[in-house]
Amino acid sequence: MLVLSLVLVPIVAGFVLLVLRNENPVMSRTVGALVAAFTFGAAIAAHGQEWSYRWLTRPFVASFHIGDTAISYWLVLLLAICTFCAILAASVPRQRAFVGQMLLLEGAMMGLFLARDLLLFALFWDLMLLPVFFVLLGWGEHVATAWRYFIYNFAGGLFLLLATAAFGALYGSTDVIGRSDVHLAGAWVPWIFWGFAVAFLVKTPVWPLHTWMPLTYSDTPSPMVAVVSAVQSKGGLYGFIAIGMAFMPEYVKAYAPILIVLGVISLLYGAFVAVTQNDAKRVVAYSSLSHLGLIVVALASLNATALQGALIYMIAHGLFSAALFLVLGFVESREETRSLVRLGGIGATNPRLAGALCIAALAALGLPGLAGFVGELIILTGIFQAGLTWAAILALIPIVLASAYMLRLFQGIMNGPQVPDLPVRRDLGWLEGLALAPLVLALVVLGVNPHALTTFDTGAYNAVATTLQGGTR
Amino acid sequence: MLPMSVPLIDYVALSSVIFFIGVAGVLVRRNPLIVLMSIELMFNAANLLFMAFARAWGNNAGHIFAFLVITVAAAEAAIGLAIVVTVFRTARHVDVDDVSLMKG
Amino acid sequence: MHYQMGNSGSYPLLLLLWLLPLAGAIVIWAFGPQLKRLAGALGSAVVGASFVATLLSWHDGTQSVAGAGANLVGAHQALVSWLPGFDFGLLLDPLSLLWVCIITGVGFLIHVYSIGYMYDDKAFARFFAFLNFFVFAMLTLVLSDNFVGLLVGWGLVGLASYFLIGFWFEKPSAVAAARKAFVINVAGDVGIMFAIFMIVASVHSIAFGDVFGNVGSLSTPWLLAICICLFIGAAAKSAQVPLHTWLPDAMEGPTPVSALIHAATMVTAGVYLVARCAPLWSQNADAQLLVGIIGGITALAGAILGCAQWDIKRILAYSTMSQIGYMIMGVGVGAYEGGVAHFFTHAFFKAQLFLGSGLIIHALANEQDVRRMGGLMKKLPFAFVAMLVGVLAICGIPGFSGSFSKDAVIYGTLQHGHPILYAIGILTAGLTAYYMFRLLFVTFFGSYRGDVDPSDLGIRHPELAGTAHAAHDDHHGEHHAPAWLMNVPVGILIVPSIFAGWLLFGGEHSPWAQFFAQQFPHPTLPTPAISELTTTLIVLACVAVGIGVAYARYATAAAQADAVERLRGESVRMPALLTNAFYFDAALDLLFVRTSQLFGTIFGRLIDPQIIDGAVRETAFSAQWLGTLVRSFQTGLVRAYAFVLVIGVACFLVYYAVISGGLH
Repeated sequence: MLVLSLVLVPIVAGFVLLVLRNENPVMSRTVGALVAAFTFGAAIAAHGQEWSYRWLTRPFVASFHIGDTAISYWLVLLLAICTFCAILAASVPRQRAFVGQMLLLEGAMMGLFLARDLLLFALFWDLMLLPVFFVLLGWGEHVATAWRYFIYNFAGGLFLLLATAAFGALYGSTDVIGRSDVHLAGAWVPWIFWGFAVAFLVKTPVWPLHTWMPLTYSDTPSPMVAVVSAVQSKGGLYGFIAIGMAFMPEYVKAYAPILIVLGVISLLYGAFVAVTQNDAKRVVAYSSLSHLGLIVVALASLNATALQGALIYMIAHGLFSAALFLVLGFVESREETRSLVRLGGIGATNPRLAGALCIAALAALGLPGLAGFVGELIILTGIFQAGLTWAAILALIPIVLASAYMLRLFQGIMNGPQVPDLPVRRDLGWLEGLALAPLVLALVVLGVNPHALTTFDTGAYNAVATTLQGGTR
Repeated sequence: MLPMSVPLIDYVALSSVIFFIGVAGVLVRRNPLIVLMSIELMFNAANLLFMAFARAWGNNAGHIFAFLVITVAAAEAAIGLAIVVTVFRTARHVDVDDVSLMKG
Repeated sequence: MHYQMGNSGSYPLLLLLWLLPLAGAIVIWAFGPQLKRLAGALGSAVVGASFVATLLSWHDGTQSVAGAGANLVGAHQALVSWLPGFDFGLLLDPLSLLWVCIITGVGFLIHVYSIGYMYDDKAFARFFAFLNFFVFAMLTLVLSDNFVGLLVGWGLVGLASYFLIGFWFEKPSAVAAARKAFVINVAGDVGIMFAIFMIVASVHSIAFGDVFGNVGSLSTPWLLAICICLFIGAAAKSAQVPLHTWLPDAMEGPTPVSALIHAATMVTAGVYLVARCAPLWSQNADAQLLVGIIGGITALAGAILGCAQWDIKRILAYSTMSQIGYMIMGVGVGAYEGGVAHFFTHAFFKAQLFLGSGLIIHALANEQDVRRMGGLMKKLPFAFVAMLVGVLAICGIPGFSGSFSKDAVIYGTLQHGHPILYAIGILTAGLTAYYMFRLLFVTFFGSYRGDVDPSDLGIRHPELAGTAHAAHDDHHGEHHAPAWLMNVPVGILIVPSIFAGWLLFGGEHSPWAQFFAQQFPHPTLPTPAISELTTTLIVLACVAVGIGVAYARYATAAAQADAVERLRGESVRMPALLTNAFYFDAALDLLFVRTSQLFGTIFGRLIDPQIIDGAVRETAFSAQWLGTLVRSFQTGLVRAYAFVLVIGVACFLVYYAVISGGLH
């Protein structure tokens, strides 16, 4: 039952916050942080637990079946940490409703990562779009962005639902995630594969399905976008591993060249665009396109080392992109602009804020000693081992570009002479520091010793790795 | 097949004539009352065929269908006349071509 | 398969000397505001303690125990493991011991010096936090027993260098220089990363021992590719042509930083890498030749550009580049002991030169342009002595440390069969003597020119020429730190600047050769036609010519009398090729920076909004058009619907009539 509470507690708490009358921002922040902290503890305690309730027997078997798998365990922890930090850092108008939406988002994404049933997965997939959509409508800068986000991702969700239905009809059951004995074959499987793939590629996103992302990331309030970019973008990658690779490995292999090409284009494209963006959040948005493109290449390279690196990099990217967006949120709330042209020199008066942005930017550019480097290095080693020499060489270019655009971001905001017409505000407060501390700590610990992430070899992950090492079954 | 004094083909021919008179009425006339009457003609053409074939094949299902058609036709006529009255009340005249509220 | 380097065991002293500077950095960074001036003392003490621990580990680092196959030299301490094959550990053997001694020893002196130099800076504590962090990063680099650990250190020293170049971050030029240094160094890191991919793909391990033990199983092209990729990293870090352009700009950092990072230690990491990977290079003659040639070109280019500079720190920067070129040339051709020895002596005399120039810059309120100096011999006698010893050492005057190591490198190139590099080495030695004595004469001889209008000296843009720095105003104030804090470290450095080279005295039986007896491969070499003594004499002749030219141009009575006019003339007549440093900067900018920006602009301004979103918009418009089309059928006219219905029914009838054969 504890594992069920991971999904239900945030959702119930979110609805309660939405209907409450008390507009005390401290109260709502406290409640939100406590709920997120609870989910973190409960996720560790409920590791390995399952809970199941049969939904359908016809036309195929489907259950409300939740429980973590070896991979989703880490993503659930990442989600809990990021939500905790984001809620602590949240300081927006109509705080109560905003925190409520954050908790609903957490609950929906918990459901996504914990779902052991494809139908449930598809349900939570669409459900997790709603809080972001409402926040974009209520707190965003342009209504059009909300619709763009929703239409793109909902269209992806539609493909996912169709593919799920076809999967159920073909296999007879959708209660399959985390099982290693499920294998699809037949003329319909390519369609099912692409149905899933389109949904995942939109969500990740991958070039050329990415144009919803820069707008969404720059318009959404920072605490929410921290969670969206850190965790929601991993939904597609997780689905790719847990569904695509687990049930349809031959088709992943058959279509790997397409995925690799799209991934390589994404990682180059994102990096080049990030060099020239002047909106701080868009720099990070395009860098996400670049970093996640690398993970797509890693997954499609079908190499066990690359897959291991991909998992580390998924977590690392979550941590540093959450930290980056939170710090940029702090900067924006102080200076009321995100433009690298207008900002400058605030490091002199805000040294702690500068330090925080510096660490986040360094993690993002893959500084050795922080988690991003471990992921990059292992992924690229695996890609090279898999024989994709050209992809490995091309993937090195964004590393150099990342150092250029991340330092441009950092220096453009913090260094240089002080800009006279920018307001001078107080430095990073203890609460904001507390919001960043878990992320930074995790980045350092995983960067020095990623042992915990590299040595587990249980359950579905093992099956995936075995499948891949054997090529096809 | 039961013996029939009038050959079956004559019934079919008569029915076709009545039916096409009905079709022509629907397509050509603009007075809704006439249109409704034309629709009645087509129903009855169908009924005539039902009866003829029921008699020819000795199968009573045709009679049952004819009664069903008469019932539906009555209901349809009631609704149609109600619509005509409503249109008349609002527009003070009735012409099928003037009623295009459902234009997309 | 598992080949070992160093005697495995538990070496707490090794861990201590490695982690102490990190602890110092964290404490000073966290409690900087509370520590105030104590930060300097604490930072220095930590590095000093690390140096003591190094000396105490001397025995561990040099121990030699008979092992399987070969002798196990040094100490090995296992750390964490990431994945199978990705095992981390520390290795202290003679090579890393030498580097650790310089990093902590010279590092300690420079820390002490910095207390005086940075005394009035408002970010005093931050400076020491970064400096300590640098020492930790550099120790990580040289102590790692594997390529990934080395890369971690490699990246972290780049970061420390970035922080310290951009230390005065209100200054746009410092900010730009810091970013440039970091990005070029990341390009180098990427080279090493790619070498690691190749190594892991072939050896399935990152440990030096496993790689060197399996070097025989690598094919020649593969080995060459690994060496080239490693050398891209070495070239970026050690400012080798064409990746050197960041080093002169890096002089934007405070002078102690230039001394420690951009002269004595970090920039020699490339030399360390090649020397460490001697088992790889010595198996591949092409790789050796490549590294030797690049080193030679860099030595010569640095020396030529050094003759054309006016900023005292930029002169030293180009001389550093040139001297590292020597080292790289030495380790490249296979004269490992010579190249490493030049690192050893260079660390002392170049640190001394930078610290000496720091004394001048400090005394002249941040004036760096030598044209506005002159006649400082009487004003700053101690700085003069310090600079003089450094200049004599770098020129290779017999008896001073530089002469031993430089001759070892030059003679080594001939021994290993590279006469052209030999000639380049000798030519560069002459040029070095010229520009270093030029520096000495212009700065210390004649009369003081600080009160002359800059334009009379040919200084066109005073704010760009290392003149009149106004970025850190509080630095101009009266100097409160006791003078000994800066003078004593410089004084101590004089001793090794003169005597360090004597360790090489005695050829094969010298202490130096004994120390590295088990470190480097020693192939038997043919005796070259020119003996070592003759080489020394040729070099000396070149040096004498260089000094003579410099004397004639800057130090004769006539030259001193109209120094202002002569300097102005030289500045104005300087060829554009030299003032633009052979256009390397412009070429790199055009090739990489502009190209990336162009791509980014095309992608971000054209493809994203116009083509991809355009396609999405087109889809939406198509749907809309389809809707409009279908809408036109919905007339609302009952008779039209009836007509369509009838036509439809007629079509069906005809169709069924045809397929049932009713019509022919």
